[in-house]
Amino acid sequence: MKIKDGFVIRQVGGEHVVVPVGERSKEFHGMINMNKTGAFLWNFFSQSHTLEEGVDALCGEYNVEKDVAETDVKRFLDVLQRNGFIE
Amino acid sequence: MVYDIANLRVKIENQYEYTTKFCREYLSADQTSPVDLTACVTAEEFAKEKAVSVGFSDGYVENICLYRDICLQLPSRNRMLLHAAILEFDGAAYAFLGRSGAGKSTHIRLWLQNLKKCRVVNGDKPILEEKSDRFIAYGTPWQGKERWGDNCSAPLRGLCFIEQAKENSIVKLTPAETSLRLFRQVLMPTVAQDAAKTLEMLDGLIAKTPAYLLKCDISEQAVETSFAVLTGKNYFENKL
Repeated sequence: MKIKDGFVIRQVGGEHVVVPVGERSKEFHGMINMNKTGAFLWNFFSQSHTLEEGVDALCGEYNVEKDVAETDVKRFLDVLQRNGFIE
Repeated sequence: MVYDIANLRVKIENQYEYTTKFCREYLSADQTSPVDLTACVTAEEFAKEKAVSVGFSDGYVENICLYRDICLQLPSRNRMLLHAAILEFDGAAYAFLGRSGAGKSTHIRLWLQNLKKCRVVNGDKPILEEKSDRFIAYGTPWQGKERWGDNCSAPLRGLCFIEQAKENSIVKLTPAETSLRLFRQVLMPTVAQDAAKTLEMLDGLIAKTPAYLLKCDISEQAVETSFAVLTGKNYFENKL
């Protein structure tokens, strides 16, 4: 699972913001706002990883229960998938 | 011709007379030294803008494209376009922002009518430059439909988002609230490093400039409300 290339992520006023660039800016308009966990997962899945690796990474980073992390990662990837952000 | 815009030497390569007249107050006395950036319009950009600018002259269409080209080159020069009306009072600049129809022009007119030492830096599309501890607001030839503005600059001391309301109130916005509102008022480049730089400047703008939400009507009380909080000064001591 990997997020498509062509996005820039930065912190603006404490919020994590993603904007499309290059060719990607022709497919997507506007910006995506996400919380700290979302930004962590965005950066993690900017490289190709499996769902399980994402769950492990989230557990390692935030000290959460595995089933909670799995729900979070699944929901995150589901939103990305539905919006066409996944390769 | 070369123009001095936002403390940059800008060479504008226009085909139509419109822009030459439009920018004449910004013409540089030095036409020969190296320039900081060059603005031009491709046939493709022109055609695209022309298609959405029904009823406007070719000179006007070219002029819109030229400013977009300038603005997209600003991030790498530590500058950015902000869609706002900027007032200067007593040496400090205040930016008023909002959707079109939110009452920016009306509110600015109230400041001009009621306050001493007050002028418009730019009524629509100023340029901001990031410095270590603050932003500088610059007037530009692109001043909006009221043609309000001057070839001048001042340090930016406040951002004020405007919404119409029946009663006047002003509250400070959190960085997160400011971030969401600011996004609607900037031109986001599509070149990755320029987009990243724009986001970094927005983060800096929020950190270095207090931001407020003004809900206001069109009475003098609206100015009293925004003036006191933005400038920290007594309204009646500065009233015309």
